[in-house]
Amino acid sequence: MNLGAFAPILAMLVLAAAFAVLSIVVSAFLAPHRPTRAKYSAYESGVEPGRLPQGERYPVKFYLTAMLFVVFDVEVIFLYPWAVVFRQLGVFGLVQMGIFVGLILIAYIYDWKRGGLEWD
Amino acid sequence: MLLTATLFAPLAGALLVALVPAARQESARLVALAASLVTLGLAVVLAARFQTGDAGFQLGMTAEWVPAFGVSYRVGVDGVSLPLVLLTAVLTPLAIAGSWRMADRPRTYLALLLVLETAMLGVFVSLDLFLFYVFWEAVLVPAYFLIGSFGGERRVYAAVKFFVYTLLGGLLMLVGIIALFWLHQQATGTPTFDYEALVDFQKAPSTQRWLFAAFFAAFAIKTPVWPFHTWLPDAYTEAPTTTTVLLAGVMSKLGVYGFLRFALPLFPDGARWAQPVLLTLAVVGILYCALVATMQRDFKTLVAYSSVSHLGFIVLGIFAFNLQGLQGGVFYMVAHGLVIGGLFFITGMLEERRGTRRIEEFGGLQQVVPRMGGVMLVITLGSVALPGLVGFVGEFLTLLGAFLENRVYAVLATVGVILGAVYLLWAYQRMWHGPLEREENRSLPDLTRREWAILAPLVAAIIVLGLFPRPVLDRVEPSAQRVVEQTQAPSP
Amino acid sequence: MHPLAQATTQPLPLPEVDWRAIAPELALAVAGVVLLLVVAFWPRAGRGVLAGLTLAGLAAAAALTVWNWDLERVAFEGAVSLDGITRYARAVLLAVGALATLMVAQGDSREGEPDDSPPEVFPLLLFALLGMVLLAAASDLLVVFIALEILSLSLYVMAGETRRLAAQEAAMKYFLLGAFSSAFLLYGIALCYGATGSTNLLEIADATGDPTADGTLLLAGVGLLAVGFLFKVSAVPFHMWTPDVYQGTPTPVAAFMAAATKVAGFAVFLRVFAGALGGLVVSWRPVIAGAAVLTMLVGAALAVVQTDLKRMLAYSSISHAGYLLVGVAAAATVPAGVSASMFYLLTYAFMVMGAFMVVQYVSRLGPPDDDAIGERSSLEDYRGLARRHPWAAGLLAVFMLALTGIPPLSGFWAKYYVFLAGIEAGLTWLVVVAVISSVISAFFYLRVLVVAYLQEPVGDPGAETAPGRTPALGVALGLAGLLTVAIGLAPEALIAAARSAERILG
Repeated sequence: MNLGAFAPILAMLVLAAAFAVLSIVVSAFLAPHRPTRAKYSAYESGVEPGRLPQGERYPVKFYLTAMLFVVFDVEVIFLYPWAVVFRQLGVFGLVQMGIFVGLILIAYIYDWKRGGLEWD
Repeated sequence: MLLTATLFAPLAGALLVALVPAARQESARLVALAASLVTLGLAVVLAARFQTGDAGFQLGMTAEWVPAFGVSYRVGVDGVSLPLVLLTAVLTPLAIAGSWRMADRPRTYLALLLVLETAMLGVFVSLDLFLFYVFWEAVLVPAYFLIGSFGGERRVYAAVKFFVYTLLGGLLMLVGIIALFWLHQQATGTPTFDYEALVDFQKAPSTQRWLFAAFFAAFAIKTPVWPFHTWLPDAYTEAPTTTTVLLAGVMSKLGVYGFLRFALPLFPDGARWAQPVLLTLAVVGILYCALVATMQRDFKTLVAYSSVSHLGFIVLGIFAFNLQGLQGGVFYMVAHGLVIGGLFFITGMLEERRGTRRIEEFGGLQQVVPRMGGVMLVITLGSVALPGLVGFVGEFLTLLGAFLENRVYAVLATVGVILGAVYLLWAYQRMWHGPLEREENRSLPDLTRREWAILAPLVAAIIVLGLFPRPVLDRVEPSAQRVVEQTQAPSP
Repeated sequence: MHPLAQATTQPLPLPEVDWRAIAPELALAVAGVVLLLVVAFWPRAGRGVLAGLTLAGLAAAAALTVWNWDLERVAFEGAVSLDGITRYARAVLLAVGALATLMVAQGDSREGEPDDSPPEVFPLLLFALLGMVLLAAASDLLVVFIALEILSLSLYVMAGETRRLAAQEAAMKYFLLGAFSSAFLLYGIALCYGATGSTNLLEIADATGDPTADGTLLLAGVGLLAVGFLFKVSAVPFHMWTPDVYQGTPTPVAAFMAAATKVAGFAVFLRVFAGALGGLVVSWRPVIAGAAVLTMLVGAALAVVQTDLKRMLAYSSISHAGYLLVGVAAAATVPAGVSASMFYLLTYAFMVMGAFMVVQYVSRLGPPDDDAIGERSSLEDYRGLARRHPWAAGLLAVFMLALTGIPPLSGFWAKYYVFLAGIEAGLTWLVVVAVISSVISAFFYLRVLVVAYLQEPVGDPGAETAPGRTPALGVALGLAGLLTVAIGLAPEALIAAARSAERILG
């Protein structure tokens, strides 16, 4: 097997890794070191970070929302290339994408009706 | 058609018995008895239509079953199987009559007895190896439930041991059957399990040896040939008595019949190759089991071991490969069925009366139940082969056959005859003679009318066939001669 | 216009859509979607309505399968092939699906109690069947993977359909190990693609004869494929999940998994190994034969010591997978191996579903469990069943004897056919091992009968709660029992149908 074709990819991997390691190392040496409590706490998108009480589990709602997001995200990933070659695919492509979007729509309706989108 | 009717009459009877409403369990006995008597009637008609002097299969029937596998429904009787069919047909109604007083689930019990009868008849009349195998395994199921569901204390152990042992042998035989089928198909291009076609098909001696070994596994366990007999004392002892009658009277013949009908004609070279081993095992079995029987305290176990010992004579006769031995073997099968059935019936009757089978619990019974003692004496003497009774003819012919083949085996086996006389007569003496010591034994009732009806046909057959064995031997002879020729045929 | 866009203006080659070829799959998909919407808009629909709709969908798929019966072609550029395996597996799977629908419709709640399982189980059942039917027809490794995921994802959810702890645990284990095995399979597909340049089974079949192809890479890929498939059909040494999952999951789902997953899994196993990779038989046969030996013996030996009937049936299903592997090992060189395996799957599906139906029936007897962890399926619950419920015990006896392989029940012919194929392929030693395993297995099947028939019931049988009305389960039991006996007495037609499934279209 000819691995030569993969050489640029390998080079890019090496470069990326080197860049990441280098920036962390360099900033550790160069940056001034003035810690505060806020700087040490975890970043939670602006929400006040706080420890969960003992034994409490992370609400499953977050995961459900995340999964819904992934579903629609993937849908879009399919839609983009389809849009690029839309003209060449013609009616065939329209029908296929209609089936695909239709199925996701049905799943969405199901999720909605069964209360998957209600927060509380 | 007649044969098919005989074969499935008990099964139809079993279905009828199962359909009897639970509230009227008693009438199930009448239905079962009627079904078994119809079967007996059909079997008698069958015997009447049988052409004496013809060695081949008669009164047969052939139909397609699973043509994709070359399996067909093919049945027929010849001189070897006809006596065994009659034996089965005679013993089953007696066993049903013997179960007349049964209180525990009589419907199920009787239905299972009838299913067992069909399965055993099927083994005797199948002329398609596959059909034969199907019936062979089908015997297991009713026998398993009869032993395990209705037997004595260690019934579950005995039933499972019996089932697994026999299944192992059967499956090894199945591998042999498939291999034979496959070889035949490769050589001739026709897929068939037809007995005659497979007999005529020439097999290489080396192939015959291992195929014989595969069949040997099934037949040696079922017979049983020593040292494969360890399931038998458990099964016979734990089974309810009327089941034991059928197990010892008929089922034990399936194995020896298998040797005679299948192993010998199909694999003559293999059989000749294994002959010394079989003869040795038979003689060891005769002597060993006779000695073990001498030591038994439970009369039922004693009879069970005596059965293994006597079956050794049949194996001896069959593997003598001459007319006397084979003819004697078939006759002995019938004789053994009658005698051992009688012995187990009497054991059951004693157990019903006293609740025990231990020999030392009895003694001096002759004074209390003289009629039973008389019957017992005839049966015992039949078993120890007193000339003039049925056992003598079989034992004499098998020993003669063995003697013609190899004197050493015959002489050793004769020692077994003497030992047989010792343990049976000794047991008889301890139970029926001597002082009447036990208080419980003083008030035992003698034979009832129902018990007479069971024992009288057996006693009559033991005496009549002992005095006039010709009618049976004449019918057996041509077919036995045919087996001898098939076995002696030189290999290609 | 951007130069890049100009470069791609030539017309794209569009695949031809062969609607007829996948008509049964489409019917299942549509039925599943309809049921999903019914569940969404009418959450209070009774189980009877949902089961009826599911059965209607199955009937439509069955009708389309019959319509397609004589169709033999490769569709979708070789992604799907219609041949004997496809139609035989479709027919068996739809029948199994119908029985499973009846079992699910019965549920495991007693009269007067709320249904424990959610109505989604019906559409999930249909989606799982869709995956299975597609899996049996797939002739491209990517379609194989997609179909496998459709069925697996549906089954993961179904496994945890009730709130019992055991079911939840089973679902989790099944999901984790299933995902694990999918990864193996996917890796195997990737390596096969790397070695042959295609995921299409027909092209892989051509490439295996090519001496210039990368042999090591292909063999590594085949090995990983084997691991993935052996996982799915629960063969030793990849069987660890089976007992836990079958025991914990609700009985109808366990029955469906045991029967249908095996049918679909072995259909694709045969197509890939005996079909596409038939040229490499010398390389993979020792592996499959070794797995068969282990599977038969370990499955049977471990089943002997079980005290829970569902767990025992799981081990028994492992040992049956071993007999089927004998068929797979034979299939590459003798066509009878294919038909024997397909026939085995047919009979096995009904036997094992029947056995689980009896389990479902018995779990409704006796007082409700207070711990709500698992169902009542301990062997203790079967003591004296013959006296309490003679019909259930009688059917149990039929299924157990059929699983043992006692003639003239259906399991006997199946075992016989596989043995025949094994001997024909020159694998006599393997058949002898199978015989030994059969004898071992007689022990534990008989033990169930010993408990049910030969032991006295514990406690007062009068105090037992009634099983309630079980019309759906009754019909299902009757059908399974009838089929097991009828196939045993007259197997000819179904064997002939299996014979017609021998030719693999890649």
